Amino acid sequence: MQVFIAQIINGLSLGSIYVLLVTGFNLLLLVAMIIHFSYPQVVVFSMYIVWIVLNATGNNLILGIAAGVLSSIALNVLCAPLFQKVMKNRGDVDINATMVLSMAIGMIITDVLSHAFNKGLPIAFPEALTGSKPFLRIGLISIMPGQVWSLLMGIIAVGCFFLLLYKTRAGRAFRAIAEDPAGARLVGIPLIKTGFQSYALSGVLGGIIAVLLAMLLHSASPGLGEQISHKVLAVSIVAGLGNLVGGLVIGLALGILEALVQGYASGSWSNAIAFVVMLVVILVKPKGLFGIKV
Amino acid sequence: MAQNESNTASGASPLLSVSDLAVSYGQIKALKGVSIEVFPKEIVVLIGANGAGKTTLLSTILGLNTPVSGTVTFEGKRIDKLPADKNVRSGVCLVPEGRGVFASMSVLDNLLLGAHHNLQNKDKNLARVYDWFPILKKRKDQIAKTLSGGERQMLAIARALMSAPKLIMVDEPSIGLAPIVVNDIFNILMMLNKEGYTILLSEQNAFKALKCAHRGYVLETGTVSIAGTAERLLSDPGVKAAYLGA
Amino acid sequence: MPLSLYYYLSITAVNILMSWALYVPYRVAHLHFITVANMTISGYLSGYLVMNLHVPFGWALLIGFAVGGIIGYIVSLFIGDAPTFAVVMVGFTFIYITRTVIENMDVIGGTMGMFGLPNIGGSPAAHRWFIIGILYALVLVVGFLIFRFDHSRLGRAASAIFVDRDLATSLGVDIKKVGMLLQIFSCTLAGGVGVLYGFIYKSFHLDFFTFALVGIFMTVIFVGGYATQWGTVVAAPILYGFPLFFPPEVQSWRIVIYGAILILVLVLKPEGFITRKFVHSIGTALSRKRENS
Repeated sequence: MQVFIAQIINGLSLGSIYVLLVTGFNLLLLVAMIIHFSYPQVVVFSMYIVWIVLNATGNNLILGIAAGVLSSIALNVLCAPLFQKVMKNRGDVDINATMVLSMAIGMIITDVLSHAFNKGLPIAFPEALTGSKPFLRIGLISIMPGQVWSLLMGIIAVGCFFLLLYKTRAGRAFRAIAEDPAGARLVGIPLIKTGFQSYALSGVLGGIIAVLLAMLLHSASPGLGEQISHKVLAVSIVAGLGNLVGGLVIGLALGILEALVQGYASGSWSNAIAFVVMLVVILVKPKGLFGIKV
Repeated sequence: MAQNESNTASGASPLLSVSDLAVSYGQIKALKGVSIEVFPKEIVVLIGANGAGKTTLLSTILGLNTPVSGTVTFEGKRIDKLPADKNVRSGVCLVPEGRGVFASMSVLDNLLLGAHHNLQNKDKNLARVYDWFPILKKRKDQIAKTLSGGERQMLAIARALMSAPKLIMVDEPSIGLAPIVVNDIFNILMMLNKEGYTILLSEQNAFKALKCAHRGYVLETGTVSIAGTAERLLSDPGVKAAYLGA
Repeated sequence: MPLSLYYYLSITAVNILMSWALYVPYRVAHLHFITVANMTISGYLSGYLVMNLHVPFGWALLIGFAVGGIIGYIVSLFIGDAPTFAVVMVGFTFIYITRTVIENMDVIGGTMGMFGLPNIGGSPAAHRWFIIGILYALVLVVGFLIFRFDHSRLGRAASAIFVDRDLATSLGVDIKKVGMLLQIFSCTLAGGVGVLYGFIYKSFHLDFFTFALVGIFMTVIFVGGYATQWGTVVAAPILYGFPLFFPPEVQSWRIVIYGAILILVLVLKPEGFITRKFVHSIGTALSRKRENS
């Protein structure tokens, strides 16, 4: 029973990160109108930046976290004009072209990570960031700080995001574009400028995710980006592309499912479980369980 | 629904001037050299069948399409190469065919979107809009999808008003609406005109539109075939035969 | 023949064939990445058949094609008319699951892979000639088949689907059937190429069949030009060849260079280098020459 509870907690913290990733992905999908396959790879790149800054400054947490968030924003914002040029090239929004562009970016990031950082070996994050002692201990269950942070930050970030979406001018513009880009243009909403804002916002989100992942996983490797990106895509497809609420549910569900499989079966299969489920859903219900909202 | 002939051309220079506008969608020539003028405080009507180019003309004026040739001048300045959001800020707005409200968003959110570039005055404009359209105030937190066709048309017009426009363009306001509701909408447009708004609208329902307008243009396959005061168009035999069912 | 030439020719042929395997489904906007999984599955299967069960190579190759086709058929029943991202995700998933399964199967070498496959034709030299021969025979045959497809009613139907699915349906095109046909062709081809790929090195290893392969083939197609089959023919040898002139330190950055080139092409020359217009103008010039001579 205690293993079960421990794994549920594991699952919730991991799930929160999936939820954050799917939210950033959906934001780019709905407002910037791109399918950014390699958004998680940008996040992993930021993890490496955090690692470098932590090493260089003797584990200065504030600098490290700031560097992670800034690098994520920078990378997203740098890629924005590429995506927008490609979208313009193909006439009306041709989502395929942005997919290939995103995959190319991911290709580059993964390979750069395999070459230029730590000779391609996995990196480990210092205990100053991850915390070495459990936050709480109930019997055999120990809750690590990383898990608490990711769950907490997950809730806060998603909450803030929904607040932004429903109570601010920028959020209204986002929702308008998400529902009807042509209609949004009509009301005088600048599509490109607003799209740009969504890149910056998903950059902020990405930086937060990078730090949380570092705290939760304690390490990173070049292949991590690809792995996570496939899972995030799995989540968003199972939930339904663009479906924010669906992403929330499925993200948490995947986290819990993976944790349970990890707890009761062998490690490498826990990764595969996500794909098997996704495969079944795509083949049977290509519009996702909650419906496509894009 | 009387016409106000005395209101015609109450200013020497036009608010909006379209000169020899040509617009193509790929190979298809939607507009082949259209020239119209709209003077301040007028109601001008574009009449024509489906595919004549009315919607294309209005959306090009707003800045959603770039013309192949010709110019669009608003308040003396060329706007034909400017993007739509800039033109909205300058005071041009379009109430599109089929209402164009954001169905999944609330009435209030839709109105606030209209005020996207004019948020400082939003409370004042909101009060005015609620005054003219009390039903919208009543339904302000409802999702736009739940409104009736007529209410949605009102919402679309109200949304346009939130940007404090100088020129309101309306594309086929009567489409899909019951005759009684159509009367209401035209009454609203005339009321707004009395308040000082300049209106350019396109309509298939030529009779009702001409009855409340000052002047009109007839568009046929991308060109202006007849132009004149509303009264003249109403009595023109060609217009009568083609558009007034005489 | 010198070893380096052997590898260059054989890998280039593989790149051409696999990029063609992606080109065909992309005619209906499907990025059919499952082909890399087909390579892996058929490849390992053939290696096992030849090494452990002593099946003759010819049969192993045919089985490789067949297995590719069967998998392609079954999957296409579901995604024959799916949107592009679904096809991509199914492809990635298959690649991932395939790799995980093979990693855990020690009977076919697990993470160590299979080594020491026998030479076809007895000697290493004969083996190399044999492989090159089969590969380029395949290039000619497949190239011819694709040429006929592109200039057929099926090819025109595919173009219609690419441009506007609803319009294509209203013209009477069966989107699912066309999609299925293209996918089955692509998977069958990929299966056979996977077999040959391993036999180039006489070994099978998971490092041969990574996601980077997807990146390479994507680069070849989009840089060469995705609208015609000739773009691949031109881009594959050049893209594989030019890094070989650089020192090994630069060569290890191959994937990054490919990614950068791909991005540049997408932004600056979206249809790739060999565009439809280009091919058409060459065709007209050639026919004019024929008339004049």
